[in-house]
Amino acid sequence: MTAQTYSLSPKEKSFVSWHLLVAMVALALGTLFGPLQAFQHAGLNLYPFLQPLIKSYYQGLTLHAVLNALVWTTFFITGFLTFNVIYGLKRPLRYPTLNQVGFCLMIIGLVMAAIPILLNKASVLYTFYPPMKAHWAYYVGLTLVVVGSWVEGYGFYFTYAAWRKENPGERTPFIAFASVLTMVLWQIATLGVAVEMLTMLIPWSLGLIETVDPQLARTYFWFTGHPLVYFWLLPAYISWYAMLPKQVGGKMFSYSLARLAFWLFLLLSVPLGFHHQYVDPGVPPGWKFVHAVLTFSVFFPSLLTAFTVSASLEYGARKNGGTGLFRWVLALPWRDPSVAAQLLAGLLFFFGGIGGLANAAYNVNLELHNTTFVPGHFHLTVATGVTLSFMGVSYWLVPYLTGKKLWKPDLARWQAWLWFIGMIIFSNAMHVLGILGAPRRTALGDAPYVPAEWNSRLLQVGIGGGILFIGAILYFAVMIGTAFSKVKVEKEVEVPVAEALQPVSQTPAWLDRWAPWVYAALALIVIAYGPQLYEQIRNISLTSPGFRVW
Amino acid sequence: MKNQEEFQPKGTVAILVVFVITLIVLWGTIYLTLLQRGGTV
Amino acid sequence: MSTTSLHVHPYEKRWIIFSIVLLIVFTTAVAIAAFALGIQVPSPEQRVDPRTVAVDPNSPWSNPGLREIAPGRYEAYILAQTWQFQPREIRVPVGSRVTFYVTSKDVQHTFKIQDTNINMQIVPGQVSKLTVTFKKPGTYPFICSEYCGIGHAGMFGQIIVTP
Repeated sequence: MTAQTYSLSPKEKSFVSWHLLVAMVALALGTLFGPLQAFQHAGLNLYPFLQPLIKSYYQGLTLHAVLNALVWTTFFITGFLTFNVIYGLKRPLRYPTLNQVGFCLMIIGLVMAAIPILLNKASVLYTFYPPMKAHWAYYVGLTLVVVGSWVEGYGFYFTYAAWRKENPGERTPFIAFASVLTMVLWQIATLGVAVEMLTMLIPWSLGLIETVDPQLARTYFWFTGHPLVYFWLLPAYISWYAMLPKQVGGKMFSYSLARLAFWLFLLLSVPLGFHHQYVDPGVPPGWKFVHAVLTFSVFFPSLLTAFTVSASLEYGARKNGGTGLFRWVLALPWRDPSVAAQLLAGLLFFFGGIGGLANAAYNVNLELHNTTFVPGHFHLTVATGVTLSFMGVSYWLVPYLTGKKLWKPDLARWQAWLWFIGMIIFSNAMHVLGILGAPRRTALGDAPYVPAEWNSRLLQVGIGGGILFIGAILYFAVMIGTAFSKVKVEKEVEVPVAEALQPVSQTPAWLDRWAPWVYAALALIVIAYGPQLYEQIRNISLTSPGFRVW
Repeated sequence: MKNQEEFQPKGTVAILVVFVITLIVLWGTIYLTLLQRGGTV
Repeated sequence: MSTTSLHVHPYEKRWIIFSIVLLIVFTTAVAIAAFALGIQVPSPEQRVDPRTVAVDPNSPWSNPGLREIAPGRYEAYILAQTWQFQPREIRVPVGSRVTFYVTSKDVQHTFKIQDTNINMQIVPGQVSKLTVTFKKPGTYPFICSEYCGIGHAGMFGQIIVTP
């Protein structure tokens, strides 16, 4: 056993805690609107009761999407990655002020974006497709959140470089390596939306230019839009690969393949955004097919993850006395809410993967594009695989940071199961409705074309949403209870970092070298995006003035 | 390294077999629905 | 510096090979549906100016509707706008082959015909085009499935395929 005596300083703990606090407040507000949408589908419209505070279903939907998918994720992730970099490298941040500046920028951006949304001046959802035009503060605010996260990322790079200098020739500890990689991926990926904001949406919303090109804007947006999901997912993978095995008494089954999977995500996550634009008129089918093949190939590191993570868990379960082909699963410590949440998240993530493979399958998208299949899918991935895992992580991380014992672990366990059950009901119905043709992002309760055969499924959407809401309330109860609890932990919570089954020194050196992978990733982006970006920019048609349609 | 060779993750293989069968059935159903709804050119 | 090579457990090696084969099989299935069975995604058709497309007398969308170009073959010019399609109803006899040309004069929409594979993003400035043969009589609703503002949920029309 290596002694794990390193600990974050109180200042560092509080810095990470602030990230989590903002994330959780955002999730609490955003989640409030989830059941309202689900109930609206089931025929119970509660939005009229929110007048004049919330004007419409779509304002609620914008709040739900922005707060949950953008704010909760980005703040939790930057906080968690900060923790991983410090704890993984066992050294403080090189320039803590830089990270604090980044965090402040994120907060300023969040407030700027939140005001127009709350005033119903930005009910454009989180994809903000032009020529729907929101208030300029919405675009500037979101841009600042991203820029702030970049600055925090620069802080990681300086810290990593300092560690490298102090530890020449050593393999980077996994959680720090994977966290820095996630940030690199994010910084490459967000270039698309940065260009969209700076060259089109911000000057347009400020009245500096009259018109935009909506097709080119979509291409920029989806350059970022898909790797965005890997930015959400990789921190959950960090926990599944390197922390969950320790929590179940196992080890990392393959340290090398874990690294390889992360490198493959860096390589393949970005050059495949056209798979969100299969049915766009302005992109040639040939390039769509190229991106389809690349999308299928980024499924590979996830299949690799399925094996490696499952084998790491099985190793722990068998050490705990687990037997049989399937029965060993019961030997996992299900009573630990952090473990239960993450195992259930991983289980539903399998199904998220299946739906993703359908969405990604080129012409199969004709069947699924903009149907409820899509939100059905991403509620299994980002809203369960990622979110439920983050909740699971917070069940040990918050006690570590606050020094307080987790309040009512039984409730926390219930929370995980309710989320799991609610999500199965909700998302199954959403997938089936999608195949039947139900449109997403639509107040279906008001739609005149809904056939009777959808009704039972719409009801299930409402029931699932209700159960999820109870699960969410339990989560916040446990978090608030822990924060205000007077019961301190006896000794500092042990950070679960799994050892590798093979000695770490046997990791090949090429799995710890940045330049070739980063250059290869950039080259692949140039190949997969270069010709189309050149073509679309050369033929730019700035013909769309803005509309406010809500 | 010995440690890893000795450990045979049979349970993982079993779970992945179930996963792959589910994947093929669900993906296949969606694919067949696509074929049944016909051409677009 | 050690020069260790990547070590992979034999089970995981087989899983890797199987994963790659599986993804190749799926890609092939998709390619067959696209290139042999004619289930294709839209391709760039033409550009228009959304500010004038509905009023310019030379634009087919200034007079949207159905045109018979040969016996049993039609072109349907459909204009999407907040929050309706023009025209809202189309009638064709069973067995008709209809090519849809859809564009928007304002924000983005989606044109999706239920029970067919017609599903196109409608982007202002672009024309989305796909073709379908209606083999069975009945009513086929077409709906907008991209959020396009407060009246989005009511945006739909229908194709009546007569026997």
